[in-house]
Amino acid sequence: MKIEASLKKLEEITSRLEKPDLPLDEALALFEEGLPLAASVKEELDRAKLRIEQVLETSKGTFEIEPFDLHAN
Amino acid sequence: MSSPGHVFTVSELNRAARELLEAAFGEVWVQGEITDLTRAPSGHLYFTLKDGGGELDAVRFRSRSALLADAAVAPGTVVLALGKLTVYEPRGRYQFVTTLIQPIRAGALRLAFEQLKQKLEQEGLFSPDRKAPIPAFPERIGVITSRSGAAIRDIVSVLERRWPAVAIALFPSSVQGETAPAELRAALERAIRFSREVAPIDTLIVGRGGGSAEDLAAFNDEALARAIAACPIPILSAVGHEIDFSIADFVADRRAPTPSAAAELAVPSREDLVARLDGAAARIARAAGATFRARRQALRSLLRTSLFRIPERRVETLDQQLDQLVSAAVRGVVAVWEKRRRAARHAEDVLRLSNPALPLERGYSLTFVSGSRRPLRAAEEVREGEILETRLGRGRLRSRVEEVNRE
Repeated sequence: MKIEASLKKLEEITSRLEKPDLPLDEALALFEEGLPLAASVKEELDRAKLRIEQVLETSKGTFEIEPFDLHAN
Repeated sequence: MSSPGHVFTVSELNRAARELLEAAFGEVWVQGEITDLTRAPSGHLYFTLKDGGGELDAVRFRSRSALLADAAVAPGTVVLALGKLTVYEPRGRYQFVTTLIQPIRAGALRLAFEQLKQKLEQEGLFSPDRKAPIPAFPERIGVITSRSGAAIRDIVSVLERRWPAVAIALFPSSVQGETAPAELRAALERAIRFSREVAPIDTLIVGRGGGSAEDLAAFNDEALARAIAACPIPILSAVGHEIDFSIADFVADRRAPTPSAAAELAVPSREDLVARLDGAAARIARAAGATFRARRQALRSLLRTSLFRIPERRVETLDQQLDQLVSAAVRGVVAVWEKRRRAARHAEDVLRLSNPALPLERGYSLTFVSGSRRPLRAAEEVREGEILETRLGRGRLRSRVEEVNRE
């Protein structure tokens, strides 16, 4: 839920910044927090790579987790 | 060994057999139960007619008049079919080419389906308030399907494009045949236990790619339906194609028409999110910029009033510091726009993927009430007897509504 939390935070920053008569230091702090946050979510999405694993079960009932190669099947 | 008289080529013999069969029977009615029904992308229907003693390959070629009657062509239905017995020469197989199909009664498979559906519905298992919402930003999606089928490939390819920021946990199971219902249930239990003990699963997709009604029958199993209804993790069902409905679809938290569609429903769209982020960045830059400019102006006039008695040189230094602050802010904005420009490179892909004609090429269609430009989304938007216009990948259809089923 990291991306979801970041989005919520961004929404909050934006609406606070758009309030009139915001003190300068607060505006600067929000600005400095908001833009890198937006950029970092985008970077995270750009970097993201789908992870696929298959979950099997042994006869003892323990899990056996293996990477799944789509092309090997 | 006697020398052969006339020697046929294979093609000659097939042709002669075809002519003989066609002449001997002409147009005939035949009664039988439909099995192994396949709808070819061309629109032709291939199926087998059978009774207790034998089977007959049958085909129904696509034609304008065939479209309406096709609804009656369902596996398990006993039908009266009118047609000609002929030989399909390239394969040397004889087959029945039908032009008219009339259902007599629903087959055993269909009856069992309807009975189970009714029973579970009466128990309240399909009730909307039982349905859990599908999480908007899942981190791990569990997929219960065959490891070698089309479903997992389709799901992976949609997620790779649309939202790669997710992990897939595949719980392999056979999806057809006698053991499939029990295997699917075991896989479901394994997924629930995995979610509790190893890593939480946000959404489960249960399904398989298209197949004949017999192939999809595992998803009409009562015990599986109850397990899906009781599952604590939100479940998307994705069984077969758009036209296939299974019991699993009714008990799942949400039905997806295909495995690809399930993947689309399970995650947000990367493009939408990037647009939202860019919008937020632009709003932040605009709001902050307005504040900075207003304050700078106020400060500058303040510095220049004689009240402060600050030497002009000091005023200039302060002014310069202000400029530096503002340009640092602007650099921040520029960095965001740089990223945005990179995102624009994806715009071409987005355009291509959002071309409304593309899904039509894949067999989906757009239907309008005649004269309206808004595509139909729900059965309740039309009344019986209304004329509909349908846009297909190639060509259009005009049809009249026979029945409105709001379900």
